[in-house]
Amino acid sequence: MNKSRYFPCGTSRREFVWEMGAGFTGLALSSLLASEGFFQRVANAGEATAAPPLAPKPPHFTSKAKSCIFLMMNGAPSQVDTFDYKPELEKYAGRQLPPDKQYINSGGRKVGYLTPAWRKFLPGGESGLMISDYFPNVRKHADKLAVINSCHTDSHAHGSALVAMNTGKTFIGRPSLGAWSVYGLGTENQSLPGYVVMLDKRGGPISGQPNWSSGFMPSTYSGTLFRPFGDPILDLRGPARITRQVQREQLDLLAALNQRHLDARPGGAELASRIDSYELAYRMQTEAPETVDIAEETQQTLDMYGVGQQPTDEYGRNCLVARRLVERGVRFVQLYSGGGHLEETWDAHESIEKNHGRHGAEVDQPIAALLTDLEQRGLLESTLVVWGGEFGRMPFSEGQNAPGRNHNPYGFSMWFAGGGVKGGIRYGETDEFGFEAVTNKVHLHDVHATILHLLGLDHEALTYFHQGREESLTDVGGRVVREVIA
Amino acid sequence: MRKSEPRKARNTRKKNIRASLSCISCLSWLLLLSVGSLAAAEDKPTFESHVLPILKAKCLSCHSGEQPKAGLDLSTRRSVMLGGKSGGAVRRAAAESSLLWERIAAGEMPPKGTKLTAEEKGIIRAWINDGAVGEGGDDDLAHGAAGREIGEEARGFWSFKTPLRSTLPTVDATQLVRNPIDTFILHKLAASQLTLSPEADRRTLIRRAYFDLLGIPPAPEAVDEFCADGRPAAYERLIDQLLASPAYGERWARHWLDVAGYADSAGILSEDRFLPLAYRYRDYVIRAFNNDKPYDRFLLEQIAGDELVDYWQHYENDDALSDEIIEAITATGYLRCAPDSSRPDFSTIKNADSQYFYPTINDTMQIVATSVMGITLQCARCHDHMFDPIPQEDFYRVQAIFMGAFRPTSWVPQMERRLTTLSKSQFEFATQRNKEVEENVKKLAADATALREKYKQRRFAGQLAKLPEEIREAVRIALLTSADKRDEAQRTLAEQHAPSVQPDDKQLDELLPKEYPDYQESRTKLNDQIAAEQARRHYYDEIRAVYDLPGEASTPFLRRGDALTPGHAVGPGTLTVLEQEIPFQWQPPPAEAKTSGRRLAFARWLTDSRHPLTARVMVNRLWRHHFGEGIVSTPGDFGRAGSAPSHPELLDWLAVELVDSGWSIKHLHRMVLNSATYRQSSGLNKGSGPIDAKHPMGRSGQLDLTPFSSRDPENRLLSRQRLRRLEAEAIRDSVLSVAGTLRSQMYGTTIGLHVWPDGEVTVHDSLDHYRRSIYLQYLRLRPVTMLNVFDQPVIEINCTVRSRSTVSTQALTLLNSKMMTAAADAFAGRVLSEDAEDAATQAVRLAFGRVPAPDELQSLNEFLDSQQQLHAKSLVEPAALDEARRRAVADLCHMLLSANEFLYVD
Repeated sequence: MNKSRYFPCGTSRREFVWEMGAGFTGLALSSLLASEGFFQRVANAGEATAAPPLAPKPPHFTSKAKSCIFLMMNGAPSQVDTFDYKPELEKYAGRQLPPDKQYINSGGRKVGYLTPAWRKFLPGGESGLMISDYFPNVRKHADKLAVINSCHTDSHAHGSALVAMNTGKTFIGRPSLGAWSVYGLGTENQSLPGYVVMLDKRGGPISGQPNWSSGFMPSTYSGTLFRPFGDPILDLRGPARITRQVQREQLDLLAALNQRHLDARPGGAELASRIDSYELAYRMQTEAPETVDIAEETQQTLDMYGVGQQPTDEYGRNCLVARRLVERGVRFVQLYSGGGHLEETWDAHESIEKNHGRHGAEVDQPIAALLTDLEQRGLLESTLVVWGGEFGRMPFSEGQNAPGRNHNPYGFSMWFAGGGVKGGIRYGETDEFGFEAVTNKVHLHDVHATILHLLGLDHEALTYFHQGREESLTDVGGRVVREVIA
Repeated sequence: MRKSEPRKARNTRKKNIRASLSCISCLSWLLLLSVGSLAAAEDKPTFESHVLPILKAKCLSCHSGEQPKAGLDLSTRRSVMLGGKSGGAVRRAAAESSLLWERIAAGEMPPKGTKLTAEEKGIIRAWINDGAVGEGGDDDLAHGAAGREIGEEARGFWSFKTPLRSTLPTVDATQLVRNPIDTFILHKLAASQLTLSPEADRRTLIRRAYFDLLGIPPAPEAVDEFCADGRPAAYERLIDQLLASPAYGERWARHWLDVAGYADSAGILSEDRFLPLAYRYRDYVIRAFNNDKPYDRFLLEQIAGDELVDYWQHYENDDALSDEIIEAITATGYLRCAPDSSRPDFSTIKNADSQYFYPTINDTMQIVATSVMGITLQCARCHDHMFDPIPQEDFYRVQAIFMGAFRPTSWVPQMERRLTTLSKSQFEFATQRNKEVEENVKKLAADATALREKYKQRRFAGQLAKLPEEIREAVRIALLTSADKRDEAQRTLAEQHAPSVQPDDKQLDELLPKEYPDYQESRTKLNDQIAAEQARRHYYDEIRAVYDLPGEASTPFLRRGDALTPGHAVGPGTLTVLEQEIPFQWQPPPAEAKTSGRRLAFARWLTDSRHPLTARVMVNRLWRHHFGEGIVSTPGDFGRAGSAPSHPELLDWLAVELVDSGWSIKHLHRMVLNSATYRQSSGLNKGSGPIDAKHPMGRSGQLDLTPFSSRDPENRLLSRQRLRRLEAEAIRDSVLSVAGTLRSQMYGTTIGLHVWPDGEVTVHDSLDHYRRSIYLQYLRLRPVTMLNVFDQPVIEINCTVRSRSTVSTQALTLLNSKMMTAAADAFAGRVLSEDAEDAATQAVRLAFGRVPAPDELQSLNEFLDSQQQLHAKSLVEPAALDEARRRAVADLCHMLLSANEFLYVD
């Protein structure tokens, strides 16, 4: 049971110390906290050290996963049409949810009748995991997947639910999962950003930048937007007249100016790291475009990802670039499928078949290719792949014979693969309708705790002191879903 | 016993609600909408009639009596609401997150015996979702909270005692002392066998003072003049001159706006609504700093400006509001900085108070507490503060201060919460006049329409008459038949003749005046009348202000900080721990009073000259911006979890000095800037031990700590000034200033932004917009990329300390961004127009405020020559030579603006 949902702040370990009678006298408390290393961590939080801020750091404990690729299905795919097999829905078709099933009907849309999956489910792999025909290629990897069918979240509106899926809370201003990851682990490649976000060409998530923000932590940890072709990073190149040679000369001049400045200020650690940052930026100018340059990939690989074919070209490129990024030591990559509004995302109000048919066809082959490719290169063990949206969809239609489904935060599915995850398993259940999580419920804090755990981070120990409180991604909630870990 | 709600009734209700919700279906962020909220009160299941019978049958055998299981007694509504050891059992109108429902629904309770039937579960769920009401109303929930005793030791914590002006310590190095600040600093340094560094050179001093006070660099002429000023007190005069500059307010207002959490958008919702009136508060803050408004007055106005100047009395009785009154209500914009996305249609949202309204009050309190009081009051919202002697009750006492204005139960949507700059008589006059204008314009517009219709008919008949007689009638009928009802023949006729006989309205508006001069004449007359009428309209300004709402404000104590588990009522108050020293004085106002006086009483308490926190917190903030670090390094937290002051006696001395000077911020600036401590060099002292100058930190990234600095590695004792990187806004302003494109226009509406397809947010590229960064739109969801990269905070609530990062994206921004390349070009243009012969020297003078050393100049010129040749290769004659030169100079200028010497202040 997840306490944080009941109480905005809840009982943390320190509060527990407090409750035990430390009282307002303070002395005992301070020494208790000091022995916990509390003040030390407070002191360290804002410290500028001479080492690059994103230098690799040891994890809290050994873990298989070194990187994470988060496949974010923006707009919320329907669980009962993808990874949550509910044959009972056939039986209930045309009826309404029983009256004791209460829910918030987002946006006041029409409430229709229970509707079975729009495409058929088939068993995949030796495990026989049931996966629908929206994901026929992913189904071939069923034995790699740990599907969690009992996810639930705190908002039924896209903007806030996306922010929650990324930062743990429904309001803006907190660091995102990727930011916590690079804060905890640094990154292996200093010539590339440690945390890369690739948006759908149709647009970003509606709640924008807060989804990859570093919140109250330094901007060092925020996600860098990467475009899959051309210049991948903002301001990676100046105007055309500044040729590479012109800029090299400029940077040499700058280095001389800065060295002169530094010589007069010995011990200026920050000055020295800023000097380094220019060289990093210069290297990034070569390395980042090289990373997105997929020309050197074999035709076979390109075909596997569906690059150069429609409708897979865009997501195929992104998936391929994601592999190239983790290959180069980037810590956290997030790929959005769907952007902008409504049907441009997975937000299938109008028609599941039309919407999921379209978006599924865009991502199914690329995702399957990514799993194959990572496995072939021996990267799957060290790369955690996460698939999911910000919530799920209702098992009923939006009116009689209406082909769409409304938002549903009460129950939805996500899956993990690689990175030390058990394959071919299913965890947690929704009720017989696929409406709400009922067995082994997994709150989004639990999802976050598990992802951090797989990366070698203890979600309770990974904290950042801010405005009088040690903040963490999972606040006072979060349970590592050990059942999906190999 | 009441049956579970019949489906038919439920569906009808759903339908009604759906209808009422359709207008807000675009509201994609709504967190909680539910079907239950609009149910008539008499429909609601009650605890006694509906729920208790179920609990009696299935639960009370364990959950009642002397020692109920898990401390949860389910026998009365009060005990259910109070909850047990695991916390509250029921959250009003939120069954899904109520422990009671969760355990029952999951089948975990009862653990043995007969489970609840689906119908019984339905009743419990419905009861909670309909508000968990009881037949006895809410009175039975009132109970006093047993506050934790605050011990003597807690009371004695340094920041809760009134600061006293201690006697100055004795120091040996009296020749170094310029003012009392130095005695405190030297005394501590001496204890560690350290002393102050020598005074920085004049060039360094003037740059430091300019950046600290104005946020832009001095012009080369100002540097030369200051360096050449041999008269006594040249430095002190410089400080006075800078403090008198209007640019000072623009610099220091920005610091305050950070802690106030100022933004030009409402936040939270994805629409992040723009707030067109917010800038007035920003302008108020700039004016306040420039006018050296006494800090106590500054706070009184911001927290209770309306009550301070007796706004309502003036509003009712004056002919017009004076500037002083308008200024005071503008100041209350401070309390409007917290995110508040409320709209009128939020009243239809279930639990909107806990979802939206309470958070706005809580954030407002957090802003006040961290910006002015330096305490983390927000920690006491759900439980007694963990570190500081702040019982949870205190949080709600302070909340009661603001409940006069902010009422979750009768919330005023943010866009409707505003005052005008008019007195009542003016307002009534304007309203009356505008109503008249509206009516007259409506009448005239109707006349115009009628006139047009008349001529339209006339023309129709006229044009028809021109047609051959045999088809005339057929055409007339065809055209008067609506398009979808015409038969084949009529369609053909209509297609053929409509253009001439029945043109569309837009064409008619062109044709009629030409064809009918009398129409033209009448129409012009009507238009003139409308314009004249419109000119009579009264326009007036509006202000995002805070003011009390009518009626008595009640403030419930919220158990666990949860608005869905309210408890007893709490009256206004402050921090118990401080009230012994500074009593909070407030009398309930007479019933007819327009305002409760709560905020004014609070602001007076806060600005009491003996208040332990107010002056200390402000002194520390000011110190921080002059030394890069506060005397207390956690400026938003002076409590036990904050850091201890490095120089407690100095902090207190300055706090008393601030109060004794009549709360003059500029006086405090003078004290600090004129001290030897501020004026010392930022370099390490000579003879401070062996340092490998080439690799001071080694390539390993480890700082080589010298024997000298190991005595005070973080320079907490201030044996030298601190090297500081400019903040985001100062970087942009300085770049524009050096490039010669910065406009000094002050105040007014915000400067709009441009969002590029690639996500970059820039200022619209127009010279008009090359104004100081404080005037740029500050949107919560769309930060200006260049400023954001350099750590301008994304405003969630407020920012008491900016983070300071060094990342390669900053390097990319400086090297490649549109803004920087444009600035480099402008800078080059300026340099070439001022001194084309010796461009390198002029560029360095402008950027760094110094002339280059001979060897440096030589390498700069070599760079210019080689860069010129490089560019010449890619250019075509005849303009090539000049253009290549110009580009080479721009390349140089660009690097000067990216150099550490430009970004850091010594």
